[in-house]
Amino acid sequence: MVRLWVWLAVVMVILNSHSAVADNDGIALKKVDFDTTITARQRGAETVVGVCLMCHSLKYVKFGDLAGIGMSPEKIQSLLTDQQFADPLLSLTPLAVRKESFGTEPPDLSLMVVARKRGPQYIYTLLTSFYIDETGRTNNYLFPGVKMPDMLGYSLTAEGSAERAQVEAQIRDAVSFLMWAADPNADERREMGVYVIVYLIVLTILLYLMKRRAWRRVR
Amino acid sequence: MFKKTLGWIDERFPLTVIVKHELTEYPVPKNLTYWWSFGFLAIFILGVQLVSGIFLAMHYKPDALLAFDSIQHIMRNVNYGWLIRYLHSTGASAFFAVIFIHIARTLYYGSYRRPRELMWWTGLVLLLLMMTTAFMGYLLPWGQTSYWGAQVITSLFGTTPFYGEDIVRWLRGGYVVGDATLTRFFALHYLLPFIIIAGVVIHVVALHWVKGSNPSGITLTAGDNIPFHPYFTIKDLFGLGVFLIVFCSFVFFGPEFFIESANNIPADPLHTPQHIVPEWYFLPFYTILRSIPDALGGVIAMIMSLLVFAALPWLDRSSVPGGALYRPGYRILVYLFFIDVLVLGYVGTQPPEGVSMVVGRVATFVYFGLFLLLPIVSSGEDRRSRRAGLPSAAERLIREEQEELLRSQHNQRREGDKMPEKRKRSHLRGHK
Ligand code: HEC
Repeated sequence: MVRLWVWLAVVMVILNSHSAVADNDGIALKKVDFDTTITARQRGAETVVGVCLMCHSLKYVKFGDLAGIGMSPEKIQSLLTDQQFADPLLSLTPLAVRKESFGTEPPDLSLMVVARKRGPQYIYTLLTSFYIDETGRTNNYLFPGVKMPDMLGYSLTAEGSAERAQVEAQIRDAVSFLMWAADPNADERREMGVYVIVYLIVLTILLYLMKRRAWRRVR
Repeated sequence: MFKKTLGWIDERFPLTVIVKHELTEYPVPKNLTYWWSFGFLAIFILGVQLVSGIFLAMHYKPDALLAFDSIQHIMRNVNYGWLIRYLHSTGASAFFAVIFIHIARTLYYGSYRRPRELMWWTGLVLLLLMMTTAFMGYLLPWGQTSYWGAQVITSLFGTTPFYGEDIVRWLRGGYVVGDATLTRFFALHYLLPFIIIAGVVIHVVALHWVKGSNPSGITLTAGDNIPFHPYFTIKDLFGLGVFLIVFCSFVFFGPEFFIESANNIPADPLHTPQHIVPEWYFLPFYTILRSIPDALGGVIAMIMSLLVFAALPWLDRSSVPGGALYRPGYRILVYLFFIDVLVLGYVGTQPPEGVSMVVGRVATFVYFGLFLLLPIVSSGEDRRSRRAGLPSAAERLIREEQEELLRSQHNQRREGDKMPEKRKRSHLRGHK
């Protein structure tokens, strides 16, 4: 038994050292919980389509896929400009224009949550780290010199004000939507996982009992 | 119907005989612990990787322009594509975890010694093949880590004297990792597992020829062996159940754990990521590579850190049975080795500077030092046991086994033809 604990401890240390690497170096990310209900995701989808899509694309997500977060066809329809249901969420601003105005290509957001270490916290912290420096220009604590403007106007709101809380809530929802967009099957996967694990545990217990029975004959 | 078909086959092919001889009635020492279950688990995961890999290949596009997108196509549009991919990506890590434990068990019990040297060497070749396969497979998602990992590892061949650059260009199919590299890695990644299967067959044939080792290290007589079926089929199945619980927990609840976040960014030859950390199973060897100040020296040290295992049957000069069980000196070496490998692995995750650089160098030194110490420690142990005898537990076991052997030979003589042909090799090879 003692040995088992020693082995478990070793495994834990190894797993921990892995996540130690996965930590972001530099400025600490804000710890926030994200609301993963479909209403939060739907609100987030509206923000992302309405604001972020001016510059960014989500090329792996199609408008029709939004049914996966419980959006009705009418609701999806209201998000369309001149795209179809089968079209991916591509930015309507031509790439050349975006490159020209920002000096860089805004990255695709479909996988952003998994493309950064501790992605959800990272994006939330990024969007809530805008501030106005002495020269009156907007900058970002997490990503100094970021070429993305403060689109949601976080830096314009006062610390502790109701407006700021509102912007923060909006960003949280946008992040929950991006979490869904990065892995739309995650809910199904976890649900299935519960059944699989319960099944395996029962099966393994039965196998153990069978093993005990078979081995009784061996001295 | 079944019997008739079987009879028909048996007349033409020794099916029943093989199944009986190699599976159901294959004799296994009854004192095996669960550490002996990992060989079977490794074969199981090989199967998982093969099947999931073939299904992935049906949807994957080995093309620098399409590869990254095709993975997302698998994740989003293919029915249960996410499951197939996560089984495969988690399976790679599980494979290495199981194989490392399998090797650790072999080291601890000294199972690489006579008569199992060929098993040890085929096993080592299998490990090298597995590493090559994993490395090539890692390029296929065509993300940033994939790309730069391949770039760094292939450039290591550039340290070869005189022909370095030519070899690197030949490996990559160009001056940098590109489409040509991706397609050839895909071709080889699909091929190598089948060569691994051939290697596993040789490994298992050798096993069934010399028979499995056991914790005591003493070849047990027929009486202490039990048939594989039902005893080990059920024991291995239970082990498999426990393994699957752990494995599926990762597949369903934390598959991203094994996917580096930078690899969710498409490969970009113009942007080098800040620090590239290889997959966890390469970390100890990676640290050895980095710890040597000279590039060529580092590559040689890394290659040697694997090849040195081949020398173990010669480096271990002791004939005391049971590996670390009856050999206190060897036990210390083995535990130091395990700790050292963990330290090397941890250092590999850290940027190569300051304290971690020093620790990495010390650990590298210890790694090779332990191999050099082994002949001295083991011949010392051998001399001592010749003088003072084996530990009493081993002595007792050998005596018991000898008596039983005498009895069974006695019986054999009396009952003559009725006894099945006993194997004449093996028996008591414990202590000379
Ligand atoms: C006006 C154009 C514009 C809009 C609107 C916009 N972004 Fe960006 N975004 C950019 C640009 C440009 C970059 C590249 C920044 C850089 O590399 O300096 C970027 C980068 C990012 C990054 C990546 C930062 C990194 O680590 O590389 C994230 C995450 C991001 N944006 C999220 C969002 C979200 C969420 C929204 C919607 C609320 C949004 N953006 C709206 C222009 C925009």
